[in-house]
Amino acid sequence: MDLSDLIEVPAIMPALKANSKKQVLQLLAEKAARITGLPEREIFDTVLRREKLGSTGVGNGIAIPHGKIPGIRRIAGVFARLEQPVDFDSLDDQPVDLVFLLLAPEGAGADHLKALSRIARVLRDADTVAKIRGTSDAAAIHAFLSQTPASHAA
Amino acid sequence: MVDAIYIVTLVSMLLVLLATFSSLIAFRFGAPLLLLFLAIGLIAGVDGLGIAFDNGPAAYFVGSLALALILFDSGFGTSIHAFRQAAGPAVVAATIGVLITAGLVGAAAHYILGVTLMEGLLLGAIVASTDAAAVFFLLRVGGINIRDRVRSTLEVESGSNDPMAIFLTIVLVQIISSGGGFESLSVAVLLLFFKQMFLGVLFGMAGGLMIVGLVNRLRMERGLTPIFVLALSLLVFSLAGAVGGSGFLAVYVAGLSAGNGSIRSEGTIRRFLEGVSWLSQIIMFLLLGLLATPSQFASIALPAAGIAFFLIFVARPVAVWVSLLPFNYQRAETGFIAWVGLRGAVSILLAILPVLYRLDHGMLYFNTAFIVVLISLVVQGWTINPVARRLGLVVPPRIGPVDKVELELPGTAHHELLAYRVVADSPVARGVRLPRWARPSLVIREGKSMRYQFAGRLRAGDYVYLFISQRYPRLLDRLFASPAPVAEDDVEFFGAFAIDPTRPVTELQAAYGPELEPGEEDKTIAELMRDRLGGRAEYADRVAFGPVELIVRDVDEEGRIVSVGISLAPEQPKAQIPLFLNLRDMRDLLARAFGRKKAEAREQEAKAGHEEPEPAGADDEPSKADAEHPL
Repeated sequence: MDLSDLIEVPAIMPALKANSKKQVLQLLAEKAARITGLPEREIFDTVLRREKLGSTGVGNGIAIPHGKIPGIRRIAGVFARLEQPVDFDSLDDQPVDLVFLLLAPEGAGADHLKALSRIARVLRDADTVAKIRGTSDAAAIHAFLSQTPASHAA
Repeated sequence: MVDAIYIVTLVSMLLVLLATFSSLIAFRFGAPLLLLFLAIGLIAGVDGLGIAFDNGPAAYFVGSLALALILFDSGFGTSIHAFRQAAGPAVVAATIGVLITAGLVGAAAHYILGVTLMEGLLLGAIVASTDAAAVFFLLRVGGINIRDRVRSTLEVESGSNDPMAIFLTIVLVQIISSGGGFESLSVAVLLLFFKQMFLGVLFGMAGGLMIVGLVNRLRMERGLTPIFVLALSLLVFSLAGAVGGSGFLAVYVAGLSAGNGSIRSEGTIRRFLEGVSWLSQIIMFLLLGLLATPSQFASIALPAAGIAFFLIFVARPVAVWVSLLPFNYQRAETGFIAWVGLRGAVSILLAILPVLYRLDHGMLYFNTAFIVVLISLVVQGWTINPVARRLGLVVPPRIGPVDKVELELPGTAHHELLAYRVVADSPVARGVRLPRWARPSLVIREGKSMRYQFAGRLRAGDYVYLFISQRYPRLLDRLFASPAPVAEDDVEFFGAFAIDPTRPVTELQAAYGPELEPGEEDKTIAELMRDRLGGRAEYADRVAFGPVELIVRDVDEEGRIVSVGISLAPEQPKAQIPLFLNLRDMRDLLARAFGRKKAEAREQEAKAGHEEPEPAGADDEPSKADAEHPL
C-alpha cells in the first residue's frame, strides 16, 4: 500500500519555512489551491474547522490535517517537510515538522477515511519518517512516501 | 491412634504442599490451577495412590465452610464501584440465568442420560453456577486487562450465583427424595426462595455492618483481628442459615459490605483472607478429588461429555444472552461472558447432596458433575486469554508499571503510608511536583534519608514516602508510573486522531459525515457517546458512528469523558459473532430493514422524476488500490 495515487511530486514542499501552525496550514492551503483550482480561503477554512475538533497532530512530529471540500474532483494530497518544527497542539506535545494535507470530495466517504488511515500508517513507520526527514528533495520524498513499508502486513 | 495423627497430617500436608507447588506450574503454563488441585486429589485417591476417602457428609461439611470463606473473601475483594457497575446484569444472570441454565441442561440430561426430567433438572441445578474461585483466579492471574464492565459482571455474577444454585439443588433433592413431582414446584417454593434470599441479604448487610463496627470499636491485638473477622463471617453464615436464610448469600453480602466499609487494618485482613481463600480452595478441591472414584467415570464419560459441551456451547450462552438482553452489552462482551462460565468446586460439592439423600443413582450425578467440571476447566479455563484477545476485550494498560508498597497506619482506617520507588521517565522523575495533599514526607536517596522539601528534584531510584488519605492513590500511581509503552496495536485500539469531546457533534458530522439521529444535533461529542453507551462511558469503550468509530481514551474520576480518539478505518471486531444481539442491535436491525424499504421507495420516486446524474469520478483510483491491499 503506498501513497503515490494520493500525491504527486509537484504537491510536495520539501523545505517549507513557517513559524506557526496557522501559517503552515495557510501555505498548504495555498499549494492545494494551485493544484486543485479551488479557492484557497475555502480550503484553509475547512481544514481549520477540522483542527477545532482536535489537533490532527498524531504525535512523533507528524500531522495529517484533512477535510472534505465540495467541488474537488478527486482525493488530493499536499505534503510539507518543515525547515523548523512548529507547535501543532499534538497529543504528545511534540512540535511537528512533517505535514500531510488531505482533501476529499464531499461524497468520498469511506475512500476519504481509508486514504487517511493509509497515510497515518505509512507515516507511523519510523524508517520511512527518518528517510523523509533526511532529505530536502521533493522527488525523493515522493519516492519514500510511495514505498511500501516493509514490516507492516496490516 | 497417636500414630494416626502423624500419618494423616503427614499425608494431608504433603498433598497441600504439592498443591501449593503446582501453582508454580500453573502460573507458567496458564493452566487452570484448580484443575491441578483436583488432579492431585484424584491421583492420590482411591484409584491412584490408594487413599480411600468416601466420607460424603464430611466432605460436604468441610466443603460448605470452605465455600463460605471463599465467598466472604470474594465479596470482601469486590469494590463497591465494580459492584454497582455490574449489579443489575450480574444479579439477573445469577437468578434468571441460573434457572435457564438448569432448565436447558436438565432437558439435555433427560434425553442424554435417560433420567426423568426432574432428575435432569437436578443435574442442571448442580452444574448451574459458575465458580467464583475459578473465575476470579483466571481473570486476575491471566495477566491481561479485561474491560472493566465485563470483568465486574463476571466477578459479581460468579460470587452471587452460588446461593441460587445451592437453593435450587436443595429444593430439587428434597422433592425427589420425598417422591414428589413437578406439582411440588409450587408457589411455596417461590416464597421459600424469596424468604431465603431476603434473609440472606438482610443478615449479610447487618453482618457486614457488625463486622466493621466491632473491628473498629474493639482495639484488638493486630494479629487477632483477621481471626476475629473470620469467625464473625462464619457466624453470619451460620446464623442466616439457622433461621432459614441463605447462609452463602449472607456471607457474600457481609464480605461485600465489610470490604467496602472502611474497616481498620483492612490490608492485614485482606491478605489474611486471601490466604484463607487459597487454603479453602486447596482443601475443597483435594477433598473432592479424593472423594471421586475415577474408575467409575469411564461408563458415564461420553454422555457426561455431551452434557458438558451442551452446557458450554448452548445452555450457558443462551442463559447469558437472555440475562444480558436488557443491558446493551456488545456482542463480543456477551460472547466472552458466556465463555467464562467456568464450573468448579461448587458443582461437585452440590453433587454430593444426591448421594447424601440416597437418591436413586446418586453416584450418577456426582460422576457426571465431576466430568462436566473437568471439561469446563480444561476447555474454558485454558482458553480465556486467547478468546479475550480475539474478541478485542483486552485493554492496553493505562499506565506503565508502578513500584510501590502500601503500609497501613495503626489507629486509622482513613490514611495510609505509601512508599513509591521513582522509576526513570515517570512524570515525577521528569520534574512534575507532587500535589500537596499527598503529604510527601521523606525521601530516601542512596541510603540517606532527607526531607522531601530539601530533596530537590526526584531522581530515578529514590524512595518517596507519603501519607495519603485513601481516596487518591490512583492519581499518584499515574505520577509515579513509567510511561506506558505505546504499541502499534494501541494506535489501532485508540484511534489515529484525538478529538475534543466537548465540541458539538455537528462538527464531527461536518468532518466525517456520519448520520445523526434526530435529537442528537445539539449534543457534544461526549454526551453523544455517553448516550450511545447507555449512560456510562468507560475507558476503552467504542462507539460506532457512521463510518468512523469513537474511542474513549480516558475518563476522569467522575466518569466524564475527557479524551476521545477517532478510528477512521474501524476494524470489524476481530471475530464477529453472529449471535448475542442485544436489544439495541435488534432495534437497529429492524430500523434498517424498514429504513431500506423506505429508501428504496424514495429512490423509485426519484428515478421516476429525473435521471440521477453520475457521481463525480472520485472513487475510481483509491478503491482499486485498496482492493489489492485490504486494510
